[in-house]
Amino acid sequence: MTDGSLQRFERIVLPHLDDAYTLARYLLRDEHDAQDVVQEASLRALRYFESYSGGDARAWLLAIVRNCSRTWRKRHRFDDRTIPFDDAEEISTSEADSPDATAVHASEQARVQRAIDSLPDEFREVIVLREVQDLSYREIGDVVGVPIGTVMSRLARARKRLAALLEIDAREAS
Amino acid sequence: MQCRDCRDALGPRLDGELPVDETREIDRHLAKCPACAREFGTLTETHRILSENLMQYRAPDVLKARIRSAVAGVPASREPVHAVPAWWRQVAAGLLIAIMSSGVTYVAVDRSVHGAVAADELLESHVRSLMPGHLTDVVSTEHHTVKPWFNGRVDVSPAVPNLDSAGFALVGGRADYVRGRVVPVVVYARRQHMINVYVWAAASADAAAPNDLSRNGYHFVTWRTGGIEYWAVSDLNAAELHMFVATFAAAR
Repeated sequence: MTDGSLQRFERIVLPHLDDAYTLARYLLRDEHDAQDVVQEASLRALRYFESYSGGDARAWLLAIVRNCSRTWRKRHRFDDRTIPFDDAEEISTSEADSPDATAVHASEQARVQRAIDSLPDEFREVIVLREVQDLSYREIGDVVGVPIGTVMSRLARARKRLAALLEIDAREAS
Repeated sequence: MQCRDCRDALGPRLDGELPVDETREIDRHLAKCPACAREFGTLTETHRILSENLMQYRAPDVLKARIRSAVAGVPASREPVHAVPAWWRQVAAGLLIAIMSSGVTYVAVDRSVHGAVAADELLESHVRSLMPGHLTDVVSTEHHTVKPWFNGRVDVSPAVPNLDSAGFALVGGRADYVRGRVVPVVVYARRQHMINVYVWAAASADAAAPNDLSRNGYHFVTWRTGGIEYWAVSDLNAAELHMFVATFAAAR
């Protein structure tokens, strides 16, 4: 690798480390595993940088992070079961808390986080890429390696499941 | 438009993935179909709750530092740091001249060769430490935790001052194998740069003022005090590394 392409790599790829880390955090649900995977993915990205043909560097890096996360889970015999969504825990904490706005927001955040954690991987990744990272369907398809139609149907099913878990209904919302 | 077709397009409608004409068609249908409108309302509300509550994380500075340093270390693999034949020939020539000219010069050259060899090994160790999981054996920002951890693991007890107020955060410590022995390494961070401080018993009891070297974009500062030799290694700029060394040495 020449100095020029090293500088290009630092300029083009390294600004997306926060996004890379966010995806790894959601996929692995552990901050230390996420750090190790992001570092591994960055070094792999550097090795393959010659093959990067331009285009969206963020989606390119996220695809590598996603693949590294999957390999990591296999290598570490990651327990692939999802964490069951349990509402009881949340009810007891919200009762104990003082009902001020920040506490309510924090418990709402925890409830949403648990709902996300309870999703199967293939649903969780499309939700994070769309709702947290704001990727287009085409970019999500590139990261996950599936056609746009599959992105659409996974996203629809994931949202439907989340709406049910979080008891979101437009009748009550409006 | 059939409700069935409309339902399939609600997600893309919400995400702005539909062409203008289809968007208009969907909106017309939603205006007159309460069942589809309710479904779209649920979808919109789900999207709102998710985007308001899901966190965008920030990669920790230590991780960014490890990556930047590891990336900066990559060109070094092209030119292995210990394979320096051209350089060695020059030193050998220098040594020969030195030996012939005077004993004093000989000592000076010998010391710089010794320093250069140490720097090469320390550079390898420093870059290795930036690989995942290698930086610290004991992770703590508390010097009362890091210092006792070294007991029984290494034969010198390193100084582990708290330098937070000067902007150098203690990250932890590790035992590393350098120059044929196990040595304590104290790890600090400044912004996104890691600083490894290697410590071993000095060959000479004389104190020595901080002296610096550079290799592949990394800076080294070495000094000797109280029979202990210190080496600070970092990709931090030389001025700030000197500031670190001054603060570290003063805090002992």
